[in-house]
Amino acid sequence: MKKRISFVILVLLSVLFIKQTSAQDKKIWASGYARSLFQQNNMQTPNDTMTPVLSNNGYVLVDLAVNAQPNSNTYLHAMIRVRNDLGGFWGSGVTFDLRQMYVKGLIKKAIRYQLGDIDYKLTPYTFFSQSEELSSHQTEVIDIFRDVVHYDLFFNKNNTWRQQGAAVDFSLEFDKGIEEWEFNFFTSRNRTSDFGLQDERFFVGGNTTIRQSKYFEAGLNYIDLMDIKGTSRSNSYFHNPVVTGTSAWQFQTQHLSLGLHTESGISEMYEVNNPNFNKQRDYFYDVSLKIKRMKSNTSFNVGYINVGPQFRSVGAQTKRVNFQSINQFYSRYGNEQLVRAISAMDLMQDVSIFQLNFQPPLNDYSIAYDNINPYGNATPNRAGMMFDAQHIAKDTAFQLFSRLQSLVEVVGMGSNDKRSFTQWHLGGVVNIDKFFKKYHKNIAISFGYTGGQTIRNTSFEEANIDFFQSYLDWGIRLELVSQFDVIASQRFIRAQGNEFKTVRGNSTEVIQFIPEFFSLKEQVLMLALRYHFSPKNTLNLVGQRMFWNQERSGLPSYHLSQFAILYTLQF
Amino acid sequence: MQKLPLIALSAYLLILVSCERDSSFEGPDFNDIYGDFALLKKFEVSAGEVDFATGQIVYFLAEFSKMTKWTLTISHTSTGATKKLEGFSKELNLQNATWDGSTSQFPSFSPGICIATLFTEADSGYRSLEVKVLSSKVPKGTVVADFENGLKPGWRMFVQSGANMSFVINDSGIVPQGNKYFHMGGEVSWDWLIGLIDFPSTSMGSNGFDLGNNPNDLYFNVILNRPPQLPNGFVLFQFKEDENEDGIFNESNEDMYALEIRDLKPGWQVVSVKYSDLVSLVNGEPRPPRGNNVHNPDKLHTISCLFLANPNSGFALTKMDYIIFTKGSPLKL
Repeated sequence: MKKRISFVILVLLSVLFIKQTSAQDKKIWASGYARSLFQQNNMQTPNDTMTPVLSNNGYVLVDLAVNAQPNSNTYLHAMIRVRNDLGGFWGSGVTFDLRQMYVKGLIKKAIRYQLGDIDYKLTPYTFFSQSEELSSHQTEVIDIFRDVVHYDLFFNKNNTWRQQGAAVDFSLEFDKGIEEWEFNFFTSRNRTSDFGLQDERFFVGGNTTIRQSKYFEAGLNYIDLMDIKGTSRSNSYFHNPVVTGTSAWQFQTQHLSLGLHTESGISEMYEVNNPNFNKQRDYFYDVSLKIKRMKSNTSFNVGYINVGPQFRSVGAQTKRVNFQSINQFYSRYGNEQLVRAISAMDLMQDVSIFQLNFQPPLNDYSIAYDNINPYGNATPNRAGMMFDAQHIAKDTAFQLFSRLQSLVEVVGMGSNDKRSFTQWHLGGVVNIDKFFKKYHKNIAISFGYTGGQTIRNTSFEEANIDFFQSYLDWGIRLELVSQFDVIASQRFIRAQGNEFKTVRGNSTEVIQFIPEFFSLKEQVLMLALRYHFSPKNTLNLVGQRMFWNQERSGLPSYHLSQFAILYTLQF
Repeated sequence: MQKLPLIALSAYLLILVSCERDSSFEGPDFNDIYGDFALLKKFEVSAGEVDFATGQIVYFLAEFSKMTKWTLTISHTSTGATKKLEGFSKELNLQNATWDGSTSQFPSFSPGICIATLFTEADSGYRSLEVKVLSSKVPKGTVVADFENGLKPGWRMFVQSGANMSFVINDSGIVPQGNKYFHMGGEVSWDWLIGLIDFPSTSMGSNGFDLGNNPNDLYFNVILNRPPQLPNGFVLFQFKEDENEDGIFNESNEDMYALEIRDLKPGWQVVSVKYSDLVSLVNGEPRPPRGNNVHNPDKLHTISCLFLANPNSGFALTKMDYIIFTKGSPLKL
């Protein structure tokens, strides 16, 4: 029934589009995206006679959008996805879905609004889609698949969350005293009622910012994920309000630009009429000073954060990856058909392990991939310094980035002895062709290294922690002929030592520690040939081979090879 | 206005400096998981002698170096009465290790010497001490029947003429309360009813049962024992209310609530039910009562105890003792 309705809508929209385009030029137009992907996978596990070695899959999809501008202040957008899995002949593998729909516009040339699907964010402590693990340094070949996942799940580099609701913003300008006063408000429905004991859940919030001058601005942010009373038979209602204040001071001299940025706030998480829910309440503050040399593209940033152990902000702490989910490819393997752990390759291309809905409990995270900032800046129970340095050469021949974080827990876990965390990061891109003036084909080498150490010494040897993690990427992009690139990369991931997995109760309080031991070695080698028909139209042939070994987990090691053909077109 | 940024910065720093939070650690204490166990304060009792009849209690004291599961078992040296307390804590104190004279395993505690033994799981250790009971616990409540002085004249008993019929007061074996209990046994091949005994309010004296009118705070309690090898017998209590207070229970237009007790564990045990939770039953199935459909304990006219069994199931037996109404909580004996 759903397919038929979608199909009818598509036909109607198409007819409408054809008719209106001819009648009212530029008022209604189509846009979209098309993709075709074929993957052949080959998994080799020693002595595994249960798991099929080869698997093939693929699909073709078209996202067809109708855009309408009935007047100069209103814009409508509706996109339908038609997807056909390879092998799904005669319509059996075809799906029709409404991918997104919204209307936005301007009221009295002053108030902007958007209804329907909205991409929204506030600050890293209130409403922010933290980037997933192993994504802080990317080589282009890795981005081939990651871009697909991000497109499908509406993740973007602005770290917005896709929500369904409404947003309004407007600003006031003043002649003296302050320059501008901005207001932004939004609301979205996060969960529907089941008319039983599950309330309807809304996410509401907003921001107001006063720009006093070019030297100073201050803002106030508020969010609350809350159950709506009366939408079910339940008598208890969840709330997670967060209030933060931001400020920015800017000073500039002839040689230096100085910027002082702060954000601080408090959060609560509680359930009305539920005496078994232990209210969580805490605060955080984040202060950073950015120094930039005016005559060069060199900047330094030094910051201090302090995020309390009971700081809860669902909009900022919900992770993109659900580490309790199961992989789509080779979900079970080995003769015992064990569940395959989420790997670097899955993080790169498996849409099924990602999530879009906010989850009030603090989500599970991968200790092996990121034990230091699993919830980004909003990670509870962290305090310490952070140093950043960045340099971009004038001719963009190279770019260098580095970061050092030195954190400790605000309060200990299981004892007053606190964990200490150190993370260091170095990355860059070198455009080799810039060094040869007569060579005009692009040759770029990128690299990134992130290492982290977690240490805790206690009076109990069993509770001591010595855990090291790292991942190293290097890649190359070689433009052989015009519009045709060879790109390759290699990724090494290591996790070694011991840590404790934290088990939390219904109120997100810590109730148990589970000791875990790591000896993870992962390696991913990728090679791709890419042809650009145009900047928005590419064909990629990608081969990759991954080796995964984690002896102390009890899971068998394996090799996973993949060959893929990926065609994308934006129109 | 140029000073505003500096004022704001100063105010912000002031707020940060004034922030405080609880500095205690999160989660279970590692000392409780990995620490060595030691007895920091020896196992003691608050009093060596206790007079439960006057409302006295005793509590036990001990302190450990870490959280541990513990079991405190108090056993009467001559009757075998046993009270068991359990917990998971770093200490035993008034809150978690208090004994009010009640029992976990019948008989009830009678005057005499008791041995309290503390078992701690962390070191698998046992520690014991002696407590002398001067008098037994006397529960507060309205005793309908304790069978200590035989059958009261006002009670009405009907016993079928079956085989091996025994509706008598007995004092052999373990007696949960006092020295006597009621023994119900027999085999009736033509009827489910083996025998019954009525406890009319008139047998209680001029004030009747005198239970008050709050069914939500009133508990009916009875101590029963069905031999495990004879699971066929079951007991049905009927609570007949004289709603119009004419001195007669009229089955056709007055409420009769019931309590059917089938699944009993081996040995003596207390069965308790809140009066407001009693339902009207017809052939074991809930049905609307025929009267005002309001629980009126103050108008309770008669309690009937019916001993039943499937006529094809052979000999059935159940022992019964101490029928009592308590207020506020179920019977703790």
